[in-house]
Amino acid sequence: MCWMCDQFGDQEYGNGIWYLNPRNYARNMYKLRAPGEGFKGAEVGLETGARSGPGFGDILNAVENNDRAEFDRITGIMQERGQGSQIVALEDADRVLELCSPIGLMACICRKNARAIDERNELEYTCMGMGVGMLKWERWPERYKGGVKFVNLEEAKEWNHELDKRGFVHILMLFGAPFIGGFCQCDYPDCGALRNAVDFGIGSLKGHYVAMVDYDKCNGCGICAQRCQWGALKFEVTNEKANIDQFKCYGCGLCQTGCPRGAIYLVERKSVPAVAEVWT
Amino acid sequence: MTYGLPMGRKFPKITVDLEKCTVPFLCKKCLQICPEAVFHVTRIMQKEERLKEMDPRVDGNYVLFAARRDKCTVCNLCLDVCPVDAIKIEVPAAERVRPKVSGEQWGR
Repeated sequence: MCWMCDQFGDQEYGNGIWYLNPRNYARNMYKLRAPGEGFKGAEVGLETGARSGPGFGDILNAVENNDRAEFDRITGIMQERGQGSQIVALEDADRVLELCSPIGLMACICRKNARAIDERNELEYTCMGMGVGMLKWERWPERYKGGVKFVNLEEAKEWNHELDKRGFVHILMLFGAPFIGGFCQCDYPDCGALRNAVDFGIGSLKGHYVAMVDYDKCNGCGICAQRCQWGALKFEVTNEKANIDQFKCYGCGLCQTGCPRGAIYLVERKSVPAVAEVWT
Repeated sequence: MTYGLPMGRKFPKITVDLEKCTVPFLCKKCLQICPEAVFHVTRIMQKEERLKEMDPRVDGNYVLFAARRDKCTVCNLCLDVCPVDAIKIEVPAAERVRPKVSGEQWGR
């Protein structure tokens, strides 16, 4: 069981999966900062708050110095603060959208930072802010340059499915666990969460599913291989089928939604014993 | 953990001369050409000024830095494309690990 479900799950709702527990979206999850106090909780991760503690540069230094203890200390701090993310499949993402309000579309900060891409157009927005934090978006003009487009549930789902078609991974971003402040559509290599997860195995929890291939239905068209952002799915030349390394699979479900023949299906992670506890 | 950490590996050191590189958000050549998306652009902001929107066209509002230098392969595409020669890459001293072998055919 993942440590988030241990702490924040509820068997009554969503089979004990923490992000399907409506209590985690409650108003009082959002931590407010007392005057004079440092950044913490929900505000960590916004542009100024990110500099108040150890960051990715410190992790790189620890790796260069071969200092495993320092590496673990920094990632421990990040986890303690509730920074992190969780990969969700498309269907679960829709269920999350049903639980939270308000929902606003906005420009992606990672893409802006890494590729200097300015999403000025509402149609280009690839990031979503959710929950009470969005009501004070004007306090961060630089972060939300171009504004926020508030949408209703149907529009949000439509947007979500559209970006799934384009091949983005769906990630819930934690702003002080278990408060979900954002719903990101990520890809490698521009997005910070995927970089940390793929390069260093930190920051993100894998999804609650793993993908499997139905070899009878798969005809080896290779579309799924283009969609995997994790390096988990490849085209196996010998028998001309898709091949999934389940230890690397993050359960984002992109291969499943992309398969024209329905040859890939998701199974619950806990039902596959060897990867049941593989969360990073 | 499913991915092996590159513990102990030395990464290239990338320095950006901020006196030469002043409007990275407008230029964005290195940001977009890097195959590994090593560079990041961010802004210099005082805490009191966080309510202000900052114009990327003004010199020095945004700064360029190599946030993800762990993936830099020193392919030097960014050096070629930079119009003001602001980027410098220091390649770490290569540590060649030779396997210890015994036996005459390998020995000499």
